[in-house]
Amino acid sequence: MKKKSKTRLKMDFVSSVALDGKTGEKKINFILNKVKDGSILVVDGVLTPNEEMNLIRETMRRVDDGFPGIEVCSLKKQLKGWKQFFDTLSNGTEKVSNSLWMGLTGKPKKTKLKTGITLIGPAKIIKNIRKNPDSFSVLAEA
Amino acid sequence: MVFGRFVNWVRNFFRLRQDISLGIYGCTNVGKTTLANRISMDWTGEEIGKTSRIPHETRFVQKKEKVLIESDGKKLNINLLDMPGLATKVDYRKFLKYGIKKKAAKIRAKEATKGVVEAIKWLNNVDTVLAVMDATKDPLTQVNITLLGNLEAKGIPVILVANKIDLKGSKPQDIKEAFPQYPLVEVSALKGTNINNLYEAIIKHSRKAK
Repeated sequence: MKKKSKTRLKMDFVSSVALDGKTGEKKINFILNKVKDGSILVVDGVLTPNEEMNLIRETMRRVDDGFPGIEVCSLKKQLKGWKQFFDTLSNGTEKVSNSLWMGLTGKPKKTKLKTGITLIGPAKIIKNIRKNPDSFSVLAEA
Repeated sequence: MVFGRFVNWVRNFFRLRQDISLGIYGCTNVGKTTLANRISMDWTGEEIGKTSRIPHETRFVQKKEKVLIESDGKKLNINLLDMPGLATKVDYRKFLKYGIKKKAAKIRAKEATKGVVEAIKWLNNVDTVLAVMDATKDPLTQVNITLLGNLEAKGIPVILVANKIDLKGSKPQDIKEAFPQYPLVEVSALKGTNINNLYEAIIKHSRKAK
């Protein structure tokens, strides 16, 4: 009888500290290098909407026969009332300070991850992600 | 080029521009081109692009300029932009299932990835976005969440379009529950159901509508 070969799944849990202090571009490179190597990455933070979109764009640039892309899912901390107001205000201030920094130095500013959790993995391995407003489940197959 | 941008900025600032760029965004196979064709046919009598059940049929931005739409006596000139479907993965093997040959499938996949990049770049040049979602499918996809988060961060007005309501099992209320903060129009782009409500919403919510 033929023995079924064992399959392995590699998961990397990354603290937000490892990504904080990196520019958006460096964060995306860090993530995509790991994912392209076959790892499923779990980060205790979420990218900004702009960084998320840049992650999709950069993924598309790296798609090839062996790497069809990524599956990604994030859960952000839901803020309400005054906390939401201050978050919106701080996002606006951050946006202005980022463009000012870029204008003055010509380099992108280092940013911090927002509170939450993100899972990013190779589309070849992650078959399905089912998301609810406050949870998600992942079906993976190596 | 710089002068052109300055003139545009002045026009926008003083609301002198008469037209807006309306981008049709969403995942693949949600009916973006069918909707673009419906809008374009209604007001110009011409289609904008080809539709297909094979994902990534639209791989380049398709434009129809100066489409004058009207609702309740109010008029708006729009430059209609039908975007390639956004995706986080493009696998050429998927296209083989539709009978496309391997070489052609690889070319299609390459063009599709470039199309996604192009659609993302265009986010900096649209005034209003129709975020199209398939009402028969789960709206809580990361692509939808990322798209809406990005538009919010950029301050671009967005109208959700729950498409395919003519199909059995469509649940436009799921889209409303998932994203309650946005205006939503339920349509069937294919059959033209509720399409006048969409024109009304475009005129009401567009950034530079007069």
